[in-house]
Amino acid sequence: MSNPEIQMPAPAARKSWIWRELGHGRPVVMTFAVLIVLLGLTSAISPYPLSYFDISFMASGGATTSLAAMGQTLVILSGGFDLSAGAVVSLVNAVLASQMDSTDFDASVPLWTAIGVAVGMSVGAFNGFFIGFLRLQPIVVTLATMFIVQGLTLLVLDKPGGFISPSIGAVYMGDAIPNVLPTSIVLIGAVILLWLWLKRTPFGLALYAVGSDPEAATATGLRTNWIIFFTYVLAGGLYGLAGVFVSAQTGSGDPLIGNSLLLPTFAAVVIGGTRLGGGKGGLVGTVFGAYILMVVVNILLSLNVSAYYSTIAESAVLILAVLAGSMSKDSPLAHKLRGAREYLAARRKGTLVSQRATADNRLRFAAHSKASEHPAPGFWIRNGVMLRYTLPAFACLLIVLVVTQMVLGNVFTSFRYWDALLVLSSFLAILALGQGAVILTGGLDLSVPWMIGLSGILVAGIVHGSNGALIFAIPVVLIVSVAIGTLNGLGVVALGLSPIVVTLAMNGLLQGAALIYSNGTPDGFAAPALRWMMTGEIAGITPIIPALAVFVIGAVLLLGRTAFGRRLYAIGNSEIAARLSGVNTGKTLIGVYIMSAVCAALVGILLTGFSGQASLGMGDDYLLPSIAVVVVGGALITGGRGHYIGMFGGALLLTAMQTLLAGTTLPFAFRSVFFGLVILAAVIALREKRTT
Amino acid sequence: MFNFRKTVAGLAIATGMSAITATSAFAQEKYDIYLSMSYIGNDWQAEAANMVKALASHSNYAERINLQVQVAGPNAQRQIQQINAMVQAGADAIVVYPISPTALNNVVKNACDKGVTIIAYDGEISEPCAYNVTIDQLEAGRVTAEWLVEKMGGQGDVVMITGVPGTSVDAARTAAAKEVFAQHDGINVVGEAVGMWSQAVARTEMSKILATRDWDSINGLWMQVGCFTANAMQLEAGAAAENLLPCAGEGSNGGRIQMLPADTEVEGANGPYTPMGAPRISYASPPYSGALALKLAVDVLDGKKVPDVTTLPLPIVTSETILLCKTGSWEEQKAGCNAFLPSLVSNPGWFASIFSQELPEVGLNAALVGQPEP
Repeated sequence: MSNPEIQMPAPAARKSWIWRELGHGRPVVMTFAVLIVLLGLTSAISPYPLSYFDISFMASGGATTSLAAMGQTLVILSGGFDLSAGAVVSLVNAVLASQMDSTDFDASVPLWTAIGVAVGMSVGAFNGFFIGFLRLQPIVVTLATMFIVQGLTLLVLDKPGGFISPSIGAVYMGDAIPNVLPTSIVLIGAVILLWLWLKRTPFGLALYAVGSDPEAATATGLRTNWIIFFTYVLAGGLYGLAGVFVSAQTGSGDPLIGNSLLLPTFAAVVIGGTRLGGGKGGLVGTVFGAYILMVVVNILLSLNVSAYYSTIAESAVLILAVLAGSMSKDSPLAHKLRGAREYLAARRKGTLVSQRATADNRLRFAAHSKASEHPAPGFWIRNGVMLRYTLPAFACLLIVLVVTQMVLGNVFTSFRYWDALLVLSSFLAILALGQGAVILTGGLDLSVPWMIGLSGILVAGIVHGSNGALIFAIPVVLIVSVAIGTLNGLGVVALGLSPIVVTLAMNGLLQGAALIYSNGTPDGFAAPALRWMMTGEIAGITPIIPALAVFVIGAVLLLGRTAFGRRLYAIGNSEIAARLSGVNTGKTLIGVYIMSAVCAALVGILLTGFSGQASLGMGDDYLLPSIAVVVVGGALITGGRGHYIGMFGGALLLTAMQTLLAGTTLPFAFRSVFFGLVILAAVIALREKRTT
Repeated sequence: MFNFRKTVAGLAIATGMSAITATSAFAQEKYDIYLSMSYIGNDWQAEAANMVKALASHSNYAERINLQVQVAGPNAQRQIQQINAMVQAGADAIVVYPISPTALNNVVKNACDKGVTIIAYDGEISEPCAYNVTIDQLEAGRVTAEWLVEKMGGQGDVVMITGVPGTSVDAARTAAAKEVFAQHDGINVVGEAVGMWSQAVARTEMSKILATRDWDSINGLWMQVGCFTANAMQLEAGAAAENLLPCAGEGSNGGRIQMLPADTEVEGANGPYTPMGAPRISYASPPYSGALALKLAVDVLDGKKVPDVTTLPLPIVTSETILLCKTGSWEEQKAGCNAFLPSLVSNPGWFASIFSQELPEVGLNAALVGQPEP
């Protein structure tokens, strides 16, 4: 996808115009080539030649993901991230299925399409308002929206059912030109044409500008808040269209239909060559990406690949597709190799920084400046920023505690509440260190769920209920996690891939590994010592709590008082600045991913102790909360800002909220809405004041 | 996949031979049957798949069917795709664990139109041309709630741990149980949490409820999955085994072992996975439903009459009817045993409702490792 160019210095640049356009479009061309190869493979291994029906079915099969992923692409181009995409698809499906008159077999297609798109756009407007105008972080706003929308969906339709008029299905599943062109292709084509037009408009230019550098965009006078707002509205409209399409495809409603779409949309965007972080990419590549994902499933099916290997195969495709799209002499890998060559050359010549004399080279007056001339800054100056971003989580926690006391009681009068709160928070508190450190460097670790799952299964499988075996089981699990973390880190550092891609693929690999290791049903028990740690007591306190206290102190010291901690913040603020200041950014980043994997492994071990056994998928419920606590605790998702104390506060807040809701008999739908609203309230309190 | 029969049939037509000759020549050809599962990686799904594979490899069936298994994960879109691909690959019948009762309707209808037999187990497919094999989920919710009310003497506070919100199974069970509780003025539901049909989630949710509430203030538990964990938690909190709360819940082997009288000798007992005379009613969607669906699919292909909806008898076991199996053979289960030795079933979350009158081909080994009865 070519970026819209603002101005080109005329003659000299003109010669290379075609090359440049090709260069910009390269990821799309590569993605398209991969898709064609895979399609060729499908037809080669299929026992029949592909008929029009097959093509038409594949086209409509990938259309929902394509449409939703195109919306996600818009958001990602603007520098955002939208976790509510799948939930909106479900909501639109539920609204349509529950509101259509089940006697009307000829419901108006344009009308209901418009209703679906409008529902999607209103959710988009909600996101856009908080992200564009209140300048809240996209990932938390859309996470909160996701919970709220999931709740609303269950209020609209509490179980699968409802009615979608056959007229909708007839149109969208049908043919635009019989036996030549399915409607789904026309629909996607229409959206692409609209996009190609939009890209050339001032709005399109502004979208790329905001995504590339929001501050520069604001400085040049762009009204970034409106641009972001409309981006989310448009994205919402596309999710709405995806919702209409899935309704047509299934002919009825299911409140959970869209939830599993979220990760595939990210994968489609990334495979399509759009850069996570914004400013580069486009919708065409995304469509190819979505269809690649779909064709891979067909190929695995035709080859009859065992289901245990399917997530592994899909992860491999994700990595390979992204690598294929980014391979060139400017790619990070090539860059790294060049860098390594230069390093060796410099080392031979003896000009490497670390080979210079270590004498104090500071200028004389600087070396002798007296500390007393600069009075030590006061407490507020030193800690003001930290408190500014840490306190909101604790303030919200206090409110939740007071409400719990009023509704359920026993909060301030018995220790049992605090014991349960701390035990249940311990999982998120530990994850917050790993995920938090990754986020501080501007990354994200999506491999947490199956790192937890695999560790739990390994530990239960090795110890089989024996205390003695713990002595080697725990080191084995931790060593495995260090290896996994190293691989994540190498993927990010050496291959130069986006952390989201690397860790998403790693999550799939680990899932496959866990399935293969456990053969589908994990067995074995936690050792009694491990169970005692999580459920026993010493002097009325669960033993994990003192350990948690030590962990929290250690985490605060690690991030706040060590060179490693300072390097994290430096990388998060500017990786280039950090590297030029002499930080070995590669080594630090690998260290961060190792830490995250080790934290996840610890949680897997402790969860196994808590439940007594391990189960597959036991980590699934911890991915989004691990991100939420970090951000609610005051960290910036783009890195460089955040304090562990705040994250710990976030873990306590989320757990206290869930405890409050579990103690009531509110329907799940309301709880979900309520949970989303509290997350939103917490981040509104963290809002950054306009600095310019 | 190379489909020999179809290709030969195609050639026969192409060369002008009578297609009928070709068909009769290959009349002994195996049926191509596909299994489209949802997610793997929970005990229920693994057992169901094992039992299907065991039945397919039993001497009654091994020569007659060609079974291929595919897993769709939790994604309905993918299952739609898979079913279509199976139809394209020439399936005679497709046995489906449907991820959604409604989302598959169109693709299932399309498959039926092409003459493919579709049969769903455990979950339902609402498209009328599909065969369904399930238990009555409303009955499951009602019977278990009524048992609990009776055990509590019609008085007291109940905590409910439900399943996955937004699914038909959870909606039906929970609604039926609440209806029963509402009919008794003395019964109050004081806490309700979403348990996601997982022992681990049940424990976190129970811990949250207990943060503000004592075990003493609860009189009964209605859990779709979690009684095993709840009993373990009460023992950890210092309760004596005689004072365990009555719990209506899942049919896991761990729960069944806990129901055995406390003095029962069992091999391999460990921690809470041990007999304690727990007051329980234990029910489950039986994991043999996949195997039965396969059997019925073959019956349909053989031209036998099969009802559109097969409602399985609800497998209910209470503290009065609990009985330990020695080997777990089909014959032994037929005689009435319904719990398996921990030394044979090491995983307490494993589902114990594996006996079907209709399926003498599959016993304990079928569910454990996919090996049919001799």
